Amino acid sequence: MPSAIEVRSLTKHFGNVHAVEDLSFSVETGRVTGFLGPNGSGKTTTLRMLLGLVKITSGTATFGGRRYQELDKPDHHVGAVLEATSFHPTRRAEDHLKMVAIGSGIPLSRVDATLELVGLADVARRRVGKFSLGMRQRLQLATALLGDPEILILDEPANGLDPQGIQWLRTFIRYQASVGRSVLVSSHLLSEMEETVDDVVIVSEGRLVLQTTLAELASRAGTSSGMRVRSPEIDRLTAVLQTIPVGFRPLSPDTVAIDGATPEWLGPVLAQNQIVVYELVHERGSLEDVFLQLTQGFAAGLPGTGEGDGAAAGQAPPTPGLTPMPGGGA
Amino acid sequence: MIKIIRAEWLKLRTTAVPWVLGGIAMVINGLLILVIFLNHGSSGGGPFGGGDNGNGPTVVFGPNYPHTVQQLRNLVGSGFAGYLLALLLGVLIVTTEFRHKTVTTAFLITPVRPVMVGGKLLMAAIAGAGLAIIMFLTSMIGGGLTLVGVGGSYSSLLNQVPAVLPGMVLVFILFGMLGVGIGSVLTNQVAAIVVTLGWFIILEGILVSLVHGAARWVPTGAAEAAANINRSRSGVSSLLFNWWQGSLLIVAYGLIFAALGSYILTQRDIT
Repeated sequence: MPSAIEVRSLTKHFGNVHAVEDLSFSVETGRVTGFLGPNGSGKTTTLRMLLGLVKITSGTATFGGRRYQELDKPDHHVGAVLEATSFHPTRRAEDHLKMVAIGSGIPLSRVDATLELVGLADVARRRVGKFSLGMRQRLQLATALLGDPEILILDEPANGLDPQGIQWLRTFIRYQASVGRSVLVSSHLLSEMEETVDDVVIVSEGRLVLQTTLAELASRAGTSSGMRVRSPEIDRLTAVLQTIPVGFRPLSPDTVAIDGATPEWLGPVLAQNQIVVYELVHERGSLEDVFLQLTQGFAAGLPGTGEGDGAAAGQAPPTPGLTPMPGGGA
Repeated sequence: MIKIIRAEWLKLRTTAVPWVLGGIAMVINGLLILVIFLNHGSSGGGPFGGGDNGNGPTVVFGPNYPHTVQQLRNLVGSGFAGYLLALLLGVLIVTTEFRHKTVTTAFLITPVRPVMVGGKLLMAAIAGAGLAIIMFLTSMIGGGLTLVGVGGSYSSLLNQVPAVLPGMVLVFILFGMLGVGIGSVLTNQVAAIVVTLGWFIILEGILVSLVHGAARWVPTGAAEAAANINRSRSGVSSLLFNWWQGSLLIVAYGLIFAALGSYILTQRDIT
């Protein structure tokens, strides 16, 4: 099946600011792709280049091989939710949708249908200036859905939503995918999206860090656990650890973190060397940790944290996070 | 293009802009009509004839209400100055989209930007014509009733309509379009309004008083030329172009701004 969205070597420079640099990724048909990265990592700029709102410096961003401007009736193919402020305050919700429908040649019957779908039917005649942020987001979604597009682009749709709103949004996005739509949804929080997305595209400082499936990212999170040890004999412990191929780092004068360690592995090591321990904590990595490490590591210029699985035991790198299980748990 | 214009009309009528401008226009026109009746004998100054011949107010002997061809034309066209409101309407049609960031939605619907500018030019032309008609009707109803009330003849007023209305509608249409051109170059609403009003209220007058030859080239001069069909005027009118030259000049201004605006908008990042 062809990709719904293809981004190839996309680059945007605003003067000296390199907002997006040589970014390539694809969004597969019928899947929800999370477009993740910290604030200011070029997500919005990328989405706006896709939609023809921001001029591309170089590279391509296409839907089925065609740029947004080249699509026949673009909002019958692509629906977009950008910022929540783009309404005229004195215009009624219904009139906003009618305006879009008329301009795009969409039957006016779709206006009521989409208002119903996003739960705004009761406030259709209210002026948008009186809407809460959550209602605006819903109206944006209704706008995007008017043309019944097969591709949805959502820029930080969870911003400003309350927990119920976020739950509603998740259900909404999963539903869109279940009826065959392709969704590209950006967020600066992976936790917001981890129950929603199938695939992830992670960016930092305008560059691609990693494109993978959520399942693959989750398996990385599983391996990014470690042990935290507080001991009065921290020097002896460090000496022992130096003889073993394992990554570790001091956290305070009496505490050390050992990457990838499990209680089953560390317990015997400590017992063998008769090291007194005050505190032992098993830290499991969450998806959010992986995400943070990927983006921060990238931002700090650390090499290739996103590449490969690093299954080579015995060569545990000193970087925190994605280190493999030392010695395969032996 | 028809659906873009229909969408533009929906946009326009769902904001306060056209209603407020229309209201202001009618109030100003009402005041101007009043001024015409209060001043009727002293001077016939106005775009549709009469004019100051340099010897101070002309004393006109006659009945106590507008009755000469020039006076009646001035009454029919009393709302003529409203073309500046048509200009403002054109400016607002574009800049409101930027002020409220609805331009994002507009460009998602119509991604080829010069097409959107084209739609707005046509919308402003239609709205300009509408404003001209409103002003005309205000004159014909308000001015006409007053005229009849003070003993004048309504048919004499009606007789002057063909000489005034076409030029007036033309000027309103062209200035509406010029406004869209200006708005697409200066998308910041406040800046666009300040620059536009600053030019028409202050700068243009200064320019013309310094360089008399500029009178025919400035937009106001072009507007008066375009509207003065069949006029008989002395004084400043000899400096102006004839009506079709004046019209072409306004069209040229409008096109220059619209083309420049389309180009600027095409280059512009909507962030």
